[in-house]
Amino acid sequence: MKKNNPKLHFGRVLTVVGPVIDVAFDDGYMPRMYEKLLIDREDGTFTALEVLQHVRPSVARCIALQATEGLSRGMSVVSNGHPIEVPVGKEVLGRVLNVLGEPIDRKGDIDAQYHRPIHRKAPEFYEQATSTEILETGIKVIDLIAPYARGGKVGLFGGAGVGKTVLIMELIRNVAHEHGGYSIFTGVGERSREGCEMIEDMTASGVLKNTALVFGQMNEPPGSRMRVALTGLTLAEYFRDDLGKDVLLFIDNIYRFVQAGSEVSALLGRMPSAVGYQPTLATEMGALQERITTTKNGSITSIQAVYVPADDLTDPAPAAIFSHLDATTVLSRKVVEQGIYPAVNPLESSSRVLEPRVVGDKHYRVARKVQEALQKYKELQDIIAILGMDELSEEDKATVHRARKMQRFFSQPLFVASVFTGMEGRYVPVKTTVECFSEILDGKADCYPESAFYMVGDLDEVRRKAKG
Amino acid sequence: MVIQVISAAPLTDDERAKIEKRFSVKHPGQKPVFSYSVDQSLLGGLLVIDGDDFYDASLKRQMTRLVSGEAQTERVQPTPAQQAQRQAVLDKLTEQMRIEPLRPDIGKLMRRLDERIDTFKPDYTGSHAGRVCYSGDGVIRIEGLKDAEYDELLDVEGVKAIAFNLEEDNVGAIVLDDEDKVQAGAIVHSTGRIVEVPVGEALLGRVVNPLGVPIDGLGEVHTDRVRPIEAAAPAIADRGKVNTPLQTGIMAIDAMIPIGRGQRELIIGDRQTGKSSIAIDTILNQKGKGVYCVYVAIGQKSSTVSGLVHTLGEYGALDYTVVVCSTARDSAPMQYIAPYAGCAIAEEFMYAGRDVLIVYDDLSKHAVAYRAMSLLLKRPPGREAYPGDIFYLHSRLLERAAKLSDALGGGSMTALPIVETLAGDISAYVPTNIISITDGQIYLESELFNAGIRPAVNVGLSVSRVGSSAQIKGMRKVSGKLRLDLSQYRELQVFTQFGSDLDAETKRMLDQGARATETLKQPLHASYAVEQQIILLYLINKELLGRVPTDRIGAFNKGFLEYLEVNGSELYGRICANGDVSMEDGIALEELVDAYYAYFFKK
Repeated sequence: MKKNNPKLHFGRVLTVVGPVIDVAFDDGYMPRMYEKLLIDREDGTFTALEVLQHVRPSVARCIALQATEGLSRGMSVVSNGHPIEVPVGKEVLGRVLNVLGEPIDRKGDIDAQYHRPIHRKAPEFYEQATSTEILETGIKVIDLIAPYARGGKVGLFGGAGVGKTVLIMELIRNVAHEHGGYSIFTGVGERSREGCEMIEDMTASGVLKNTALVFGQMNEPPGSRMRVALTGLTLAEYFRDDLGKDVLLFIDNIYRFVQAGSEVSALLGRMPSAVGYQPTLATEMGALQERITTTKNGSITSIQAVYVPADDLTDPAPAAIFSHLDATTVLSRKVVEQGIYPAVNPLESSSRVLEPRVVGDKHYRVARKVQEALQKYKELQDIIAILGMDELSEEDKATVHRARKMQRFFSQPLFVASVFTGMEGRYVPVKTTVECFSEILDGKADCYPESAFYMVGDLDEVRRKAKG
Repeated sequence: MVIQVISAAPLTDDERAKIEKRFSVKHPGQKPVFSYSVDQSLLGGLLVIDGDDFYDASLKRQMTRLVSGEAQTERVQPTPAQQAQRQAVLDKLTEQMRIEPLRPDIGKLMRRLDERIDTFKPDYTGSHAGRVCYSGDGVIRIEGLKDAEYDELLDVEGVKAIAFNLEEDNVGAIVLDDEDKVQAGAIVHSTGRIVEVPVGEALLGRVVNPLGVPIDGLGEVHTDRVRPIEAAAPAIADRGKVNTPLQTGIMAIDAMIPIGRGQRELIIGDRQTGKSSIAIDTILNQKGKGVYCVYVAIGQKSSTVSGLVHTLGEYGALDYTVVVCSTARDSAPMQYIAPYAGCAIAEEFMYAGRDVLIVYDDLSKHAVAYRAMSLLLKRPPGREAYPGDIFYLHSRLLERAAKLSDALGGGSMTALPIVETLAGDISAYVPTNIISITDGQIYLESELFNAGIRPAVNVGLSVSRVGSSAQIKGMRKVSGKLRLDLSQYRELQVFTQFGSDLDAETKRMLDQGARATETLKQPLHASYAVEQQIILLYLINKELLGRVPTDRIGAFNKGFLEYLEVNGSELYGRICANGDVSMEDGIALEELVDAYYAYFFKK
């Protein structure tokens, strides 16, 4: 690094408070918002920063994208005037990147033709396109109650340990394999172990060559977790806008993006908002989510896991995410306790495309009937707990028995969980799912015992299991 | 511009001229004003304060370094100048001794000092220093100290502190020990390193505080290796797949919530539900399995930890265990660093290719200590008044537990963090945070505990995300659906409690569930070998216990295992060797059960 290079600007570290760093430029230079700065650690390594605020002339407040241990005031900072730019295009497929777009899979450099800044504007209003086609997942409860739209946005909501990551892995397996196009997986603030296992699984199943993975996991400082979702999104946007492709974008877990923002918000001098979150929560989320959209050029179908802190769906973060989604799949601890996996709560999950125009009359009718029966059972549960089953009318008894069978029938062995359950996964086409539930509602399956409906694929399997 | 010069004795004109010349060179074109004062507490030498720059070349500074044992070098032959220096220090010390003649163990202290003086390396280059300008509640603010690094260990006249905020004109730090000794005006030095602990096999069998200082009264720890307490977690590419089981010896866990080496499994539950007992039983069960253990006590009662150390010693588990102890009387910062220190000690073993088990008991107290610190540092509170980075606090700690790739030696660190819930509220803020970090949780319930089901594991809410792939084949076969069956059993139990007409299948499931629950009961410190677990679960799976009254299942199982060892030793040996019950062995086992039935009922 030469000090007399006219294109470079030099400054020095003024303060270090956790991941927030103030940098002063002596020559009157003022870096732009989102500009990337590098701190020279003088041992051959650099620490990357991103400018977030201008504190006063020539002093910028930045967020560190890498660990800040061992930094001291007065260290030299350099900038070339560019924001964070990441490689895009087919060269990133099959590779694993970090937030800065650097490879972390030890397979050498990425020699990409194009680089793109991670901050961009969302597509204009006139470019938006809407989709009315169902994306089959092969998972009964999702396809029936809260079907996903091709080119739409889906959220998997769930508290800690209810199976979000397993479900998203199953969706990758079912959807990405069938889909055949390009997929981007972005790991935001999740376990490093899962990243390692995902790479292994993808290599084994052969989808890795059409997939790019981006990781900023939970051991990394907040700056990295705050920006890594944008890095993944930038890769997806390139395929949509420049190559006109249909892309799948998986994000696990978008809540961590908000969480990282709240970790640094106070240190940036902002007043805390509700429950200690950053005041900019809604706008940050909006700026990100509006970029994940389907345009007339190409589509992004995104599936996002959303962690629900303290199992509280009214927490400001999940509440802010809800409104951006086309379909929501809610996983709940009560369902987990019953041993039903995937632990989707059919009464809380919903989808914008569950309407006769899109899914057809029969599907719509069956789905609503199933919800009604489950709702009825839920209401009767208190009576059963106090008085017992015997006090119910014959009609109610039949409803309860059918509802319990449907609850169990919503469980399904997953391919990615076969090592836990010892059962091979099942892929159930949406047509079969609708047919099966229609038969249960009509009482055609009343003769089989409850336990036969547990952890099976379709009704044929129930019959086989009942026969023993 | 004023430059303050503080010296131990009044300076001569000659000396003043020398100093003024030096500092005029440093500020060309300016005319600094020099102010001189005398402070006898410096003992010798001088201290220059030039704006933000402190230059400390006092004897007091050197004495502090000497006593704290820092700045030691290899034993070299001292030069005559050093000899003289040493003599001066010795004289000074002897003089101090005279002032305080009643110090106990003076001979030992002298010997240690003597040793340190031999290896002492004086340093008069004049380091950057700072001065405490605010001190309260263990938080200090320091003027000067321009070269301080973020997270660096600071030396406040012998008291240790950590630099937390590097502001434009001051440094915020937290005091680790003896916070009442820090006074405003005290001189602070940076040490050039972040907080470290001694590591290595010499620590096995020892009880140390979070700084690595032994507190068990068994003398010094002799090791020359140290590790910084904060370290980066292994990268994604440096990890291997969890593939070896870590046997806890507790059947309910090994069968349904199996733990693999390199996994993080949370133990969560109300107070007095047996959380620590599970961790301790797991440590006891590692005897002879080549796994080193680290137990980290955070903010616990001293007597509890002492009892635990006693138990470990009694069962011969201390030989492979290190106890890192921060008790309730330690300051919040000390409790805050305890798990990181324990983790560094475990990391040393892991990177040496060994398997390590680390227990953090418990992280809810750790979160409370960190909250106290954060609020004192005026960081704004969020949910439940915890600071915004409470998640990162635990995620960066627990991510350091991993299974390493073969290229890195294939070592592993299995972490068992413990979290205490209030009134069974598993969905409170800190518990859900940690659940979302770990690879599963063992949830203990006080209702089950009181109902006599011990270990009081709630099967429905407990889960292990990686362990099953690490189970041995025979275990996987017999335990396969046990967890799902049991959670279905509990749901069915509630649903049918008033039901009169149950169909045969439902009755069978209820009966089977009750017998499985009985089998999984297990007293304290009574571990089962994995083969014994496989055999007992085989009996349950094949529904061979149908004739035993439910309340005598425990006795039947215990008796049968003893009977098997005597009357079926060959069969037992075969099952041990294969780690599996083969078809023929199964038939033989069933015959033995039949034989034992007669014996059992006769008794």
